[in-house]
Amino acid sequence: MNEKSLRFRIVDALYVAMMALPILCALVIQILTKAPGEGISITGAQIFFTLPMPLQPLPITTAQVNTWLVMISILGLCLYMTHGLTVRARLRRQLLCEWIIEKTEAMVKESMGDFFSGYAPFIASILALSAFSSLLSLFGLNPPTSDINVVAGWAILVFILITYYKLKGGFLNYLKGFTEPIFIMTPLNILGEVATPVSMAFRHYGNVLSGSVIAVLIAAALQGLSSLILGWLPGGLGEIPFFQIGLPAILSLYFDIFSGLMQAYIFAMLTMLNISGAFPQDEYEKRKQKKLLKNKK
Amino acid sequence: MQTLDIISVNLWQILISLANLLIIFLILKKFLYKPVKKVMEERRQAIDSDYSEAAEAKRQALSDKKAYEEKLSGANGEAERIIRSAVEAASFREKEMMDEARAKADGILRKAEADVVLERKKAEADIRREIVEVSTLVSEKMLRREMSADDHKRLVDSFIDSIGDGDEAE
Repeated sequence: MNEKSLRFRIVDALYVAMMALPILCALVIQILTKAPGEGISITGAQIFFTLPMPLQPLPITTAQVNTWLVMISILGLCLYMTHGLTVRARLRRQLLCEWIIEKTEAMVKESMGDFFSGYAPFIASILALSAFSSLLSLFGLNPPTSDINVVAGWAILVFILITYYKLKGGFLNYLKGFTEPIFIMTPLNILGEVATPVSMAFRHYGNVLSGSVIAVLIAAALQGLSSLILGWLPGGLGEIPFFQIGLPAILSLYFDIFSGLMQAYIFAMLTMLNISGAFPQDEYEKRKQKKLLKNKK
Repeated sequence: MQTLDIISVNLWQILISLANLLIIFLILKKFLYKPVKKVMEERRQAIDSDYSEAAEAKRQALSDKKAYEEKLSGANGEAERIIRSAVEAASFREKEMMDEARAKADGILRKAEADVVLERKKAEADIRREIVEVSTLVSEKMLRREMSADDHKRLVDSFIDSIGDGDEAE
């Protein structure tokens, strides 16, 4: 395939559009639907409509819609990055995606061991979804990770995986694990088991949400300060919150970019450590040997 | 527009989010990891085959070099052998030719000598025949007319002289 050909460029442009349009779409939706803010308001995601479902009605909120848009964006990014792959690696984007893949696989191998080497795409998907969702706040959008339900879903998936790998050592061993080191510890052990996903979810969600809350608070405080000090200026000049220029941008650098990426990394790290820590390697090997012996007999 | 409370747990939203993560996992696996790893694997294989080809070529070149060196040293020996045999053949041929020439010369010489002897014998025979003829002639003449012994002798002498003259004249 020739990367200079018109066809290649058109497909490239389509993929770029697939990356950018969802974000644009989210912005348009936000502008069309957001109620004009009155003073300081700290609320959850906006509800677009509510679907009647058994047990609990399902409200479709910005968190859900933004997650889907981010997913489409990530799909576009993947297609764009892997477009025009060659053995000779003539495109720079190929080097980038090879770097990503090598890094994630090395990271997974290092912290999870060889048995879990197939986990690189899963960890990468956690990183990508979490990071891109949190980075949506750079555009002034509602980051889906500031909704507890979104992060709780991921944490529950991680919990399912943890339990799955614990069961690999045998169901009885799994139950016995709760009574260690002594029998009295059982309730605490069960609590600790449940605490893992809960702590993961709350850590991630709390960090991102607190970033947004602090941003709102600081913006409001700066507006108040601005009108207090510069309110004497004639005309509409006093109304303009000059103090809001500068400082919120620097804080956004920390709360939106650094904190968002950091939380994605921490969530991925905890996922890796918890899953690999849950896997009883020795017990699993023993059972495997036993099974082999049985089959031989 | 309504908004959610800041903490509101909803089972369906949790399930949707869980499914979203799984879908992203499948997307990354299918559209990022699979194609890129395939290309990387292809590259690894290409590099491996390049290396083995290079090793093969090097091995081939070394064996070729060895064969050439062997051939070269063999060629030196061969050339020496050829020259030696050529020299031998030449000297042999030279000897043969010399022998032949000598034999031929000897033959010619012997033939010439034989010829000479034959000629002489012929000449002697001729002379003898002539002498016989002459003496016959003389005898006839002597028989026809009586001669004194002196006459006879004189005659014979003069005849012989004349013959000698004649011989010299001839």
